[in-house]
Amino acid sequence: MIRRLYWIYGLLVLAGTSFAQYSGWSLDKTTALKNIPKSVRDNPGSYRSIYQSYHHYTGGK
Amino acid sequence: MSAAPPPPPQPPTKPQVKAINCPKCGAAIELRSFGKAETVVCGSCHSILDATDPNLKILQTFEIKMREAGPRIPLGKRGKLRGVDYEVIGFQRRSTLVDGTRYSWHEYVLFNPYKGFRYLTEYDGHWNDVGPCKMLPTIVPSNPPKATYLGETYKHFQTCTAETSYVLGEFPWQVRVGEEAEVTDLISPPRVLSSEKSGDEITWSLGEYMYGRDVWAAFQMPGNPPPAVGVFENQPAPVNESVKGVWSAFALHSVLLLALLIVFSVFILRDRQVFSASYSLDAGPQKGEGSFVTDEFELGGRTSNVEVTTHADVDNNWIYLNYALINQGTGQAWDFGREVSYYHGHDSDGNWSEGSRSDSVIVPSVPPGTYYLRIEPEFAANHPRINYAVQVKRDVPVLGFFGLGFLALLVPAIAVTWRRFNFERLRWAESDHPLVTTSSSSSEDD
Repeated sequence: MIRRLYWIYGLLVLAGTSFAQYSGWSLDKTTALKNIPKSVRDNPGSYRSIYQSYHHYTGGK
Repeated sequence: MSAAPPPPPQPPTKPQVKAINCPKCGAAIELRSFGKAETVVCGSCHSILDATDPNLKILQTFEIKMREAGPRIPLGKRGKLRGVDYEVIGFQRRSTLVDGTRYSWHEYVLFNPYKGFRYLTEYDGHWNDVGPCKMLPTIVPSNPPKATYLGETYKHFQTCTAETSYVLGEFPWQVRVGEEAEVTDLISPPRVLSSEKSGDEITWSLGEYMYGRDVWAAFQMPGNPPPAVGVFENQPAPVNESVKGVWSAFALHSVLLLALLIVFSVFILRDRQVFSASYSLDAGPQKGEGSFVTDEFELGGRTSNVEVTTHADVDNNWIYLNYALINQGTGQAWDFGREVSYYHGHDSDGNWSEGSRSDSVIVPSVPPGTYYLRIEPEFAANHPRINYAVQVKRDVPVLGFFGLGFLALLVPAIAVTWRRFNFERLRWAESDHPLVTTSSSSSEDD
């Protein structure tokens, strides 16, 4: 019984992995935005990233 | 003159109970075993009587404690076990003393006029259907001892001294309260092979685990059976025979997962570079607007992922890039920020390094179209010249999904194995051969 359940579960895992890969899902953090003005192409400064000043790590041991 | 027709065959008569009176107290005693019992116990005065003696010689009289619990299945109750009708005709309580604690269990004597005697035992809600062995088991000298019976190997579980403390009804042997026997159990769940040594006599019996609900159904008992407590010696494991099966299924699924990765990488994913460019940041503070946009590039095919990789020649320094992947036609964008930092040095522990000169990010589910990147670098105030390159790839394999898939396959297999191990640990904890010994018991042993 458990073996049969595991088989079903395993096939679902394989199907889920395949679907995620085929659909182009990602594990990385990005933010989707809509309706970015066309003026950004000519004036990149008119757009401000939501991640701006997100990072100020100085690093080092 | 014609002969009278023969009388129709009579149906077999229903077994009748024979009633006698106790020679001590005069109470009525019902005999249900058709003279097969050797002793019968008066339920009124608790005299053990010789059932083979026409005068019912009194063999022993015992006192019962106040509130002594009687049988859960009353004497005279009939039920069907493995397709055979049996009647409960006797009941005894036995106990053993282990480390100063007395453990008790119950044994029911069942009788069928054609099949003979059979027994039901019950301990803490765990039941066993027990019958005499038809041949002698073979003892296999080993440590711990083993025995084989009808081709099955049984492992030694426990040897203890059992004392009879309460009896009621009929018994096919000369039962006495206070009599002791050395009981040895060898198990091969769901079966248990038991030997009872009393004096020079050794008897062997074979039991099979029964769930309380099945016993209750067999005897049509009202209500619910007592709940089973803990794990019994021959209780079937809930995942019996499944652990190997689950691991073999895990191995096969893992191979399939690897095959999927290869199929995706080789046949389905295009993993094609669609854009590449190099940039540099001059040393010193920033002058003017730092953001810029790249040339346009085409993302073809179906909706799929996009990998943006950054290589920077940072050395004990960092650069942070605010990216926006923008669809020229729809205005849809994916905003993300990535750091590239690399530090290294030498201290009392030796050489060390931290970070990497390369970074990549995968943007999910990007539809086909014409795109460009808006890039806005951030950096330390006093930085040297930094050269960095940006590459964009379409439709790349995400190894993380396959890693997560592998973990998702692995975790249930480990859980099943742990559950089985824990069940066996609890089972053998009550035996003479526990799988895990506690420090206190180890020190006691020492």
